[in-house]
Amino acid sequence: MSDRKAELERKKAKLEMMRKERQEKERQKKLKEQTEDVKTQSSTSQSARDETDKLLQDLGIPPAGEVADKPPSEKDTESTDGSKEPTPHPTPTKVKSRQVKLAVARVSETNIPPKENVTYSKETQTANLEPLDRDGHGGLRHLCDGLSDTSSPSHRSKLGSYGSPRHYGSPRFHGSDTGFEWDDEFSYYDEVLVYDDDRRLDDDHEQDTESIDVSLSTGHPKMPHVEMVAPAHTAEDKPPVQVRELSEEEKDTILLSEDFRLFLSHSSRVIERALDEVDVDIDYSRSADDELANQDLAGERLKMNREFFDERWSKHRIVTSMDWSTQFPELLVASYSANEDAPHDPDGVALIWNSRFKKSTPEYVFHCQSAVMSTCFAKFHPNLVVGGTYSGQIVLWDNRVLKRTPIQRTPLSAAAHTHPVYCVNVVGTQNAHNLISVSTDGKMCSWSLDMLSQPQDCMELHQHKQSRAVNVTCFSFMSGDVNNFVVGSEDCSVYAACRHGSKAGVSEIFEGHQGPITGIDCHSVAGQIDFSPYFLTSSFDWTIKLWSIKDNKFIHSFEDNSDYVYDVQWSPIHPAVFASVDGMARLDLWNLNQDTEVPSASVSQDTGVALNHLRWHQNGHSIAVGDDMGKIYTYDVAESFANPKSDEWSRFVHTLQELRQHAAEREEDTTLAGLSSPLR
Amino acid sequence: MSEVEETLKRIQSHKGVIGVIIVNTEGIPIRTTLDNSTTVQYSGLIHQLSAKAKSVVRDIDPQNDLTFLRIRSKKNEIMIAPGCEYLLIVIQDDRGK
Repeated sequence: MSDRKAELERKKAKLEMMRKERQEKERQKKLKEQTEDVKTQSSTSQSARDETDKLLQDLGIPPAGEVADKPPSEKDTESTDGSKEPTPHPTPTKVKSRQVKLAVARVSETNIPPKENVTYSKETQTANLEPLDRDGHGGLRHLCDGLSDTSSPSHRSKLGSYGSPRHYGSPRFHGSDTGFEWDDEFSYYDEVLVYDDDRRLDDDHEQDTESIDVSLSTGHPKMPHVEMVAPAHTAEDKPPVQVRELSEEEKDTILLSEDFRLFLSHSSRVIERALDEVDVDIDYSRSADDELANQDLAGERLKMNREFFDERWSKHRIVTSMDWSTQFPELLVASYSANEDAPHDPDGVALIWNSRFKKSTPEYVFHCQSAVMSTCFAKFHPNLVVGGTYSGQIVLWDNRVLKRTPIQRTPLSAAAHTHPVYCVNVVGTQNAHNLISVSTDGKMCSWSLDMLSQPQDCMELHQHKQSRAVNVTCFSFMSGDVNNFVVGSEDCSVYAACRHGSKAGVSEIFEGHQGPITGIDCHSVAGQIDFSPYFLTSSFDWTIKLWSIKDNKFIHSFEDNSDYVYDVQWSPIHPAVFASVDGMARLDLWNLNQDTEVPSASVSQDTGVALNHLRWHQNGHSIAVGDDMGKIYTYDVAESFANPKSDEWSRFVHTLQELRQHAAEREEDTTLAGLSSPLR
Repeated sequence: MSEVEETLKRIQSHKGVIGVIIVNTEGIPIRTTLDNSTTVQYSGLIHQLSAKAKSVVRDIDPQNDLTFLRIRSKKNEIMIAPGCEYLLIVIQDDRGK
């Protein structure tokens, strides 16, 4: 144990000795070197490296030292390689000759190549580059720089076989190029040192430092930005589209194709709507004159808004009936009789007009062989339009197909109508509705819109006592009722009838008019008080009469007109308001709560036409009026007049009571006057 | 055929309408009421524009599609109704205001 300890002591002492000796040696060596340094500053590569490091640090690029560390070894190998293997280029040899002296300069220059890189990478942007891939390569390159010397000679020769040295100038480029192995890069990097060497001489230092930065930040997401720009450049140079001219035959086939017709019928409608919609960019701050003009009109209760007329389709035709669409409130369908001046045109025409767009032409044109006497929208089918014709046929048009002719029509047989159909209407609900039609021979049919080949139900309307048929000219269903209705006839009487039950057929007769009935309408305004038993009739006897279904004597007769009264209709929102049109082209608006003797508002056309038909819009603010020359006018009803106040219902009850009272007095008068003036 | 003519005539008869052009998908005019050079110019340019507008609308919402394109300018207005295979172009004057 003790001798072992002694041995250890001895060894320690020996080690101490050796250490001291070495230290002494080193100190001497250093001293010697320092003196040598004074003589030849840049003789050794070690000092040169120190100096470059210092220089770079002065410039503010500390990491450069790391990079700079590596090249010298490569440079050494390079020089040895150069000596072993002659290169085809003169520049490398030149480098070799200078090598001993100017090692310092070359060291700094080895990091320059990436500057070239930037310019080259633009060229390579067209190729499919993957930044991740390149980054990986870049990292490897840095790691394995030291290993490159061994592989360089073989690659050296490889380089010679490739194209211009400029191509190899960028290590980055190679890294990204799929054709090269990772170890190839190092050798090219070596080559770079050589080739870039003299090429870089004229470049300024600032750029060099930049390039170093770039080379170090290979993993930086800076590069992809550069790449993103390039595709846009390539996309720009598209070959110009060649414009080929179509031959006349080709054009004609296109014009006749179904596709084209469908397109045109759709787009022409859109265009036409747009064409008349011109006030998009109106400047209200400027047009003070127009405002004043509008104020003048504000006082009017009835203001003409639109005029619907089509030179080809509605000229010289009588407007026989109209109906507003419930699905598309701006659409109005109107039926027209035959135009005697145009024997080649179809007799019956139905046009759909659009009140929303200031479009002067009809939205759709439909026609059929016989004059259309009545029309309506198929309430629950937005695309279907029903027409009752003079021949007795019921026709159905569809605006989804390009055809203007009916898609369906009823047969002309004894099972259906054989006389003119003046009344059509769709009654019921969404799930259970029927088309009801009545012809002038008193035949009433109900149809399913899906099947017009035969009526679902058929009944004859006969007068009570005599078996004479009722010559129906107009009809109206009671409000919210699909069973009970009233009809007006040519024989001056009004009848109440029902469709179902044991008493189906005519149940009541209302006499009082002295001319054929032209229009009939049941009260249908909902409210606190139900006025559904009341209805109005208009007649050739120049009067309008107010009736109740419970009383077969009229309540009141409005005798302000001096021509045939052609149509009458209650306002759909105001309980005491109705409108009427007459043969003097007068449109009257009555508010019974205001006056029962004269209309509250009235407008007349001074063109010598007769107004044939009228239809309130369901919103109660406008009225469509048709004349016997094929024109339809829409009138706006002043808001103050059209909208009911809350007390209108109770006031209307009073008005009706008063009217009844007057009627009773009138009855007494006539009985007092004896039988000298019988009504008929 | 007559219906096509009738429609075009009707559009043409609208106040202020200068011209009506129908162009197919390739930008080739099929029907025009304008002279040749104007037609070619309009159809080429508007065809491109409407294609671009269509792609804009579809890019914003793939379920969406362009239905109508209206260009108002100081002097006139160009209305474009694109269909699946054709374009209807109507050039309207400043409505004589």
